[in-house]
Amino acid sequence: MSQTADPEFLLGQRGTSHELGAWVIGLAFGREGLSLHAGLGDGTVRVAPVANPEWVTVEAHKGAVLSLCADAKDGALSGGDDGRVMRIAPDGTATELAKFGSKWVEHVIAHESGIRAAAVAKAVHVLDAKGEVLKSLAHPSTPGGIAFDAKGKRVAASHYNGASLWFVNAKEDKPRLLEWKGSHASIAIHPEGGHVVTAMQEMSLHGWRLVDGQHMRMSGYPTKTHSLSFTHKGKWLATSGAEAVVLWPFFGGGPMGKAPTELAGGDGVMCTQVACHPLHDMVAAGFEDGLVLLTDINTGRVLPIAPPGHGGISALAWNPKGSHLAFGTETGFVGILDLSAQ
Amino acid sequence: MTDQIPVTILTGYLGAGKTTLLNRILTENHGKKFAVIINEFGELGVDNDLVVDADEEVFEMNNGCICCTVRGDLIRILSSLMKRRDKFDGIIVETTGLADPAPVAQTFFMDDDVKRATKLDAIVTVVDAKHLLARLADTKEAEEQVAFADLILLNKMDLVSEEEATEVERRIRAINPMVELIRSTKSDAPVSSVIGRDAFNLERILVREPDFLSGEDHHEHDSEVNSVAFEVTRAIDPEKFNTWMTDLLAAKGQDLLRTKGILAYPDEDRRFAFQAVHMIADGDYITPWKDGDARKSKIVFIGRDLNRPQLRRGFEACQVAA
Repeated sequence: MSQTADPEFLLGQRGTSHELGAWVIGLAFGREGLSLHAGLGDGTVRVAPVANPEWVTVEAHKGAVLSLCADAKDGALSGGDDGRVMRIAPDGTATELAKFGSKWVEHVIAHESGIRAAAVAKAVHVLDAKGEVLKSLAHPSTPGGIAFDAKGKRVAASHYNGASLWFVNAKEDKPRLLEWKGSHASIAIHPEGGHVVTAMQEMSLHGWRLVDGQHMRMSGYPTKTHSLSFTHKGKWLATSGAEAVVLWPFFGGGPMGKAPTELAGGDGVMCTQVACHPLHDMVAAGFEDGLVLLTDINTGRVLPIAPPGHGGISALAWNPKGSHLAFGTETGFVGILDLSAQ
Repeated sequence: MTDQIPVTILTGYLGAGKTTLLNRILTENHGKKFAVIINEFGELGVDNDLVVDADEEVFEMNNGCICCTVRGDLIRILSSLMKRRDKFDGIIVETTGLADPAPVAQTFFMDDDVKRATKLDAIVTVVDAKHLLARLADTKEAEEQVAFADLILLNKMDLVSEEEATEVERRIRAINPMVELIRSTKSDAPVSSVIGRDAFNLERILVREPDFLSGEDHHEHDSEVNSVAFEVTRAIDPEKFNTWMTDLLAAKGQDLLRTKGILAYPDEDRRFAFQAVHMIADGDYITPWKDGDARKSKIVFIGRDLNRPQLRRGFEACQVAA
């Protein structure tokens, strides 16, 4: 651990810097508010108390961590290329929750209600609080992303030629198929549950308004979008993939027929990660040169968080209260910021 | 930018000896580490630390071009492999026996994440010397695998006579005059001839030249896929060539499996190299012409229903005025 002393960036004043040594696949603060988890490309999950970031190393997976998320109540879940779903407690205790043979566990998600899901090959397995597989939902091709809605009632999976939306507790499993030609990867459900949006191989976004099945096409990205994040009430959808943070308005009839707002752009470097603040209309954005910025969407004011130079930003996470922000890079650098009133 | 990791594609019909070749590459003592992506478990196991088991997922790009297909599974897997800490020297993708090599090759031209992290090294096709002619007669995939290959391992040589082998080689050359052929028994080719070939590097295009001057027509009436090669002596007008090639690939790209060319542009010391897989084209200046070289522009097409006179006239018309 070291202190970075660049006064122009908040990391120097309110942050700590850490070299973890391998690609940061995902970051997650535990919902209990005490722990930060980093899933890495060397198969480990590192765990640190938020108040005093000293890392514990958990040998979670044999090869690499492929996905990491905050678990339902506390700690984190990780999926790996050894076919396992691991639960990591806030103190770093690891338990194997499920194992799926030689297939990769490419995505894991959890909801505070206690339900979890893991995407393995073409299936999305829904797991209960004990890790038992409640049901396995089949898809026409390997899901590129999965997401729960805000209530944990529905799970959506993107795939080739569209996305499937399932009711988690349905007696008979039949998805609502949201069709659109092409290959869909990252997926997000609007916080109010009315829209599903995916990021496509064709360097555009596609969305469906669920009430009437209306399509939304959001295009113009110079690269693929990997990161989608709705603001806390769903007013805006923040996206990576352009030289600025591209925000689509989900109000006043938008995003259909509305132009997106672009923030924090201008220096020709691609935005790779976005994460909206859990309580305010603010978005943290990471760029491929390592720059991290925090932007107030309503005023456009930009707070510099971390300077370029530690590798492209590969992960961003807020804690549930929105007082702490963590970012990670392709080279294994992690910054943790305390943004609470001091 | 980090070094791109080379990816070798292994194709061939079930039973031709793909997995035997793969295991030979993996177990031979060369000090190299490979990640292996397999799309079907054959009878033989694969002996390697890192074997990724995936389903071939061929996706059409939603851009109105039906031959623009990519392998969605490779895009996902290659992107994930790049994030591992224990890096490897190469990646080998073993396709199923019935796989069309085009989507695999196109993935390396179409996807930016894949392009940044990896490069296509070569398409290696293992064929069974005893049964290839029958396969060519009854399946489209066998022809495509021969047409796309940079290297063909003519395997199971112990099962055929010299006359049979010569006939098989003649048929292979008719489909793909640029391919390098290695005869083998039990897939016993030197690993260095299979791995690290850099065959898709524009610098190495047409290193193995087909016979431009013989005037021999490679047309085979019993083979759907053929090749034609032309050579012209006057410099090529870049604008005329681009217009011709753009129109040609748009109209005939589905039938044109691979196209390769070396062009002499007027008042330009560097050679211009060009290649296309179906409609997806790539071109750039490479090393200069050598002093005393005849600056001849050459082009080779491998494909179906090639209209030889029309292609010849088209290429000749790209020359600057005499």
